[in-house]
Amino acid sequence: MKTMASELFSEFREHSVSEFFRKNAAMLGYTGKIRSLTTIVHEGVTNAIDASEEIGVLPSVQVAIKKMNDSPEHFKVVIEDNASGIPEKYIPDVFGKMLAGTKLHRHMQSRGQQGIGISGGVMFSQITSGKPTKVTTSIGNGEMIQADVMIDVDKNEGKILNEEKSKGDWRGTRVELDVRDVTYVRSRYGPFNYLRMTAIANPHVQITFVEPDGTLTVFERATDKVPPRPKSMPLHPWGIMSDDLLALAKHTKSRTVTGFLVAELSRVTKAKIKEVQKLSGIDLNKKPSELTWEDAEKIVSAFKQTKFMAPPTEGLRPIGAADIENGMRQILKPEFAYAITRSPKVYRGGLPFVVETGIAHGGAAGKSADEAEGEEGETGGLELIRFANRAPLIFDQGGCAINAAVRSIDWRRYGVDTAAAPVTLFVNVVSAYVPYTSAGKQSIADDPEVLEEIRAAIMDVARELRQYLYRKIRTKERQQRAGIFEEYLPVIARKAAHLAGVEVPDIKKLIEKVAGVKVGGKRETPEES
Amino acid sequence: MEKGKRQKKAEKSLSEFGSGIVKDISEARPPKLKVPSRSTSNIFYDEKNRYFVLGNKYGIRSAANVKQVKKIAQTLCVADFCKELIEANKFATLREMYYTAEGWDSGPFNDQGESDVIVEDLEAMFGVKREDLGLTPEEDGAAVYGEIVVREDNTVIDATKAGRGGYTIPPTIDDVEFLKCKAKRVIAIETMGCYHRFVQEHAWKTFDALIVGLKGQAARATRRFLKRVNDEFELPVYIFTDGAPFGFHIGMVIISGSAKLAYINHELAVPDAKYIGVTASDIVNYKLPTDKLRELDIARLKQLQKDPRYNTEFWQGEIKKMMELGKKAEQQAFAKYGLPYVVKEYLPAKLKEVEGEDFIALK
Repeated sequence: MKTMASELFSEFREHSVSEFFRKNAAMLGYTGKIRSLTTIVHEGVTNAIDASEEIGVLPSVQVAIKKMNDSPEHFKVVIEDNASGIPEKYIPDVFGKMLAGTKLHRHMQSRGQQGIGISGGVMFSQITSGKPTKVTTSIGNGEMIQADVMIDVDKNEGKILNEEKSKGDWRGTRVELDVRDVTYVRSRYGPFNYLRMTAIANPHVQITFVEPDGTLTVFERATDKVPPRPKSMPLHPWGIMSDDLLALAKHTKSRTVTGFLVAELSRVTKAKIKEVQKLSGIDLNKKPSELTWEDAEKIVSAFKQTKFMAPPTEGLRPIGAADIENGMRQILKPEFAYAITRSPKVYRGGLPFVVETGIAHGGAAGKSADEAEGEEGETGGLELIRFANRAPLIFDQGGCAINAAVRSIDWRRYGVDTAAAPVTLFVNVVSAYVPYTSAGKQSIADDPEVLEEIRAAIMDVARELRQYLYRKIRTKERQQRAGIFEEYLPVIARKAAHLAGVEVPDIKKLIEKVAGVKVGGKRETPEES
Repeated sequence: MEKGKRQKKAEKSLSEFGSGIVKDISEARPPKLKVPSRSTSNIFYDEKNRYFVLGNKYGIRSAANVKQVKKIAQTLCVADFCKELIEANKFATLREMYYTAEGWDSGPFNDQGESDVIVEDLEAMFGVKREDLGLTPEEDGAAVYGEIVVREDNTVIDATKAGRGGYTIPPTIDDVEFLKCKAKRVIAIETMGCYHRFVQEHAWKTFDALIVGLKGQAARATRRFLKRVNDEFELPVYIFTDGAPFGFHIGMVIISGSAKLAYINHELAVPDAKYIGVTASDIVNYKLPTDKLRELDIARLKQLQKDPRYNTEFWQGEIKKMMELGKKAEQQAFAKYGLPYVVKEYLPAKLKEVEGEDFIALK
């Protein structure tokens, strides 16, 4: 495994790793000044949460972004967790080797589907600022390690520049990245919203965030239960992508591509491989290590045209309606929240997926002031937060099936004014085979089955919201109604008694009867004025 | 009905209204108001009495209805306001009541239309006129000249000694006592110009008539006056207006009452009153100077043609003739033949038509 990554990039031999990084910046999430910063935070936080869950610890993640004085585009990003810590000898690999993470060969519905892990952040920092990344870690044995890590771009290896050991009773990892050419904004594309969305979809995580201006926000956890780890299972050929295939190829013990495909993928037989060979025109008897990127792309495309048995539907790990509701209540403090997890469905003839939706009304739900579409000074409006396997989808919203589903709904029918209502709509698409539209993995393709299922799931929660809004209006009306009777019935009694020249009759019983309320307290009108 | 009786009836109605509601409330039953409907579907022309009357449709207003409870409270406040007026022997105009309501427990009205409707409700519910409830219309009635003597409180007035303008009919005409009347007929005249012509030419003396100036559409007080002299002295009433659709209708409202006040027409309509002119036939027969009918006039004539009140041979003929002529004429058009002509020539001819040869007892 030590040499895996360098082998993987054998095809890029003629280029340096940093060139590879620049070339694939879009796929890795490092495009644009705002997005690059959000991606670094994402990689760090994902690492932290995964590491905590792995050892069954409730994740507490602290994030701080500090502005450096010399330039408005120069920041220090600090991410600290309470997970297992990293043993000394693994530090260079974890932070200094691209694609050296432990996730690639374990195929599961994972939150870190995108990017190349924290080493990408180290690389970005190194390219932009030329500074090493400061790592502080302890496995909880009383010894703390402080190391400055850089990537040797020629060897694709981690390099430790300085290392210090000290005594300390603490466990976890703290990473400090020095980055330039990035911008901090509090828009929906920035780190704040990313963390807020992460907190909603991961109610067992506590996130503390310090912004460049010193603002401290604590996203408290809403549950003490660590969710079960997604089960690792072989990938189905319909859901695999080129980079996955290459990574698998470098890792396999099989001698031929055919043998490796049958062994590593689900529902693949030798007979099917023959079809794939014909369709792709690639000699599948060659060594897995000889597979090129182009080969991988052709094989993936051939897979899509081949009939395989559908993958098993078990193993999907939705967040669960209760936890989505908890997450929304904790972070948005709404007046109303409701969530559902739909039963598994399949698309493209058998790829299983689950859609979960949640809706919140009131409190901090809805678009924030700077995002609102309405008149200046107006806040609110329908806010859509998208997730795939719990991971926030922040960019490319326009082309996303979730967005298309939201727009296809006539929200007025549900009593929602999309320009003004304080409503946040949560949508999570769960699958080991999320159909992303592009390598950036920020939006979901509009396969008809997926789109229709998302739409149905949104309408489920929208109906519940409509019920709530209706009840709210009814209650208000009832109170107003009672107020009207309490105001006018005593007048009627008083005036009628004066006309008849008799004592004013007791009106309380009649008010209780027609208004359905007890008369009492300060609302009661004096008998004679 | 004389004044005391009217007041008693109004007071009794108000008191019974109150005690019914008190009883409901004591028994925890939501009070209900049964208000005769004044929608067009409930207004009928009573062929026998020859005026408009209300049918038996009622609107029920319930204090258990959130949309009606305020209106009921307002109705009670109006009723109580009336009770106080009657007890203090005072009158207030509808507008004064509207302003008084600013301080009521049921809150102010949005506009005077709202409070006026409640007064109509009470009139229809009790079958008494607003004047009996202490409320008066805004405008004075018109003027009367002729041999009638009336008493307002302690003042005795002879309508031939009340100046050239005659006796002004007050809004509170029902409070006025008619002491004696030597006149034998009443001539009601649309325009005040023509009224003064009749007074100047001594028509009141020549024809033993009370000359009444209507000032256009007759006010409630004027109609009430006509009704009373018709009832109390059995004087025939003749109406003389412009020869135009709007003139015709001024006459008809006196005769048959208006649809809007159908619930109270038994107190206002003078079914035996007779319209004497100017008719379409007069325009032809007297070769009167004319104006062309405007579009509005023609539309109005068409309406009248279908109105049950005009469903007589005389009216249908006159309406048709006017439409054929395409012309209308004012009552003052007779001045063409000299100022006295209308009194000296036209009026005797007309009266002979309606009263026959008996009328010749001219002075």
